[in-house]
Amino acid sequence: MSFLEFLAGRWTEILGLTLEHVVLVVISTVAGVLIAVPLGLAITRIPALGRPVLGFAGVIQTVPSLALFGLLIPLPLIGGIGSRTAIIALVLYALLPILRNTVTGVRQVDPAILDAANGMGMTDWQRLTLVEVPLALPSIFSGIRIATVVGVGLVTIAAAVGAGGLGSLIFRGLAMLDSRLLFAGAIPSAILALLADAGLAMLEARLVASRGAPAS
Amino acid sequence: MKGVAISFREVVKSFDEKLVLDRVSLDVSPGEVLVLLGRSGCGKTTLLRLVNRLVDADGGAVYVGGREVTDWDPVELRRGIGYAIQGVGLLPHLSVGDNVSLVPRLLGWNPERRRERAAEMLRLVGLDPREHGDRRPDQLSGGQRQRVGVARALAADPQALLMDEPFGAVDPIGRRSLQEEFRSLSRELGKTVLFVTHDVTEAFRLADRIAVVADGGIRQVGTPGEIADAPADALVRGLIEGAA
Repeated sequence: MSFLEFLAGRWTEILGLTLEHVVLVVISTVAGVLIAVPLGLAITRIPALGRPVLGFAGVIQTVPSLALFGLLIPLPLIGGIGSRTAIIALVLYALLPILRNTVTGVRQVDPAILDAANGMGMTDWQRLTLVEVPLALPSIFSGIRIATVVGVGLVTIAAAVGAGGLGSLIFRGLAMLDSRLLFAGAIPSAILALLADAGLAMLEARLVASRGAPAS
Repeated sequence: MKGVAISFREVVKSFDEKLVLDRVSLDVSPGEVLVLLGRSGCGKTTLLRLVNRLVDADGGAVYVGGREVTDWDPVELRRGIGYAIQGVGLLPHLSVGDNVSLVPRLLGWNPERRRERAAEMLRLVGLDPREHGDRRPDQLSGGQRQRVGVARALAADPQALLMDEPFGAVDPIGRRSLQEEFRSLSRELGKTVLFVTHDVTEAFRLADRIAVVADGGIRQVGTPGEIADAPADALVRGLIEGAA
């Protein structure tokens, strides 16, 4: 039986797992954005937060993903076997790139522009929303893009804690020494990562191009 | 709104233990264009920034319209004073028109009135609102951007204008015409203008009065004619002759 025939026989399963995979990535990335962007903006206002928060996110990043999944399992409430544990770990991994790009994006805004904004009488909130966030948006967005692409890869490993997704095919293939199963999981996952990257890159380009549009 | 008086009384300011302003007193009359002239690092920019509280004095007092600046809410104070700086500080993600009407927007004007105001201000500084209003700042020449900077500073009809080398980044020819237009514009509007420059020619071209600033103090205040005829000391004479 050729690989293509093998895929044809299992395409509904692969499609279902791909969907599961996408859902896991989307949930964890969105949650990561909702936590990391406000936190990153808070760091630009309260510099004392920077060290502990970025330090924590950095440490998480150094923990091997399989180990982090394993560490979370015994924890009450958040742990256990299943997608919940996986999502928590994925969110934790998404934090650092988004946090860091939010903070650097805001800090890179031209001081002359900030001086003009202050001199015109903007409140701190107005300066943040009218000047700093719009100008930091490309940087924030590239952080989200990194987090998403990394997330697609990490979700394959999350199958180890029973989260589902394409990783379950890979793990099954490894266990059964069946390379067809392994590729049936790995190839769609790689394609997903490339698609996510390209899609977000397009969105980013449109975002940047529309920044000249009159704001009301 | 016509201009208000600005006064500095015995103002002292240090940055990191370094004294940049040492008991400076200066009166700017309503409607006059007063140029602070001096080399870089002499304290002239700090003097300017005291007026809209981008910097607060360590000692002494600054008055705008007879009221001490520290009695104002800084945000409210700044919205009533036009501010234009070198490099202009236009917001790159907003159109030229939206940049011009930014302070009106902060003041809560409705979009219709803001658009009209932006068009009016652009015409005032010699730009065509239909041609330039919807462009982004990076699509304009350096000289056009400086004009937009001036238009923005004027948009909310401020009682005073603070300008820090606003024509610094323009080629000499464009600079000359900007200066001439600004001179007639400021006469026409009757606003109080505090203008910082290190360029002696620019100072003589624009000023009703010049205050020569050096080493954290004011060496001489007078009309361009007075300063040219009777420089107060060697430093002032050197500065003027260096430009001649």
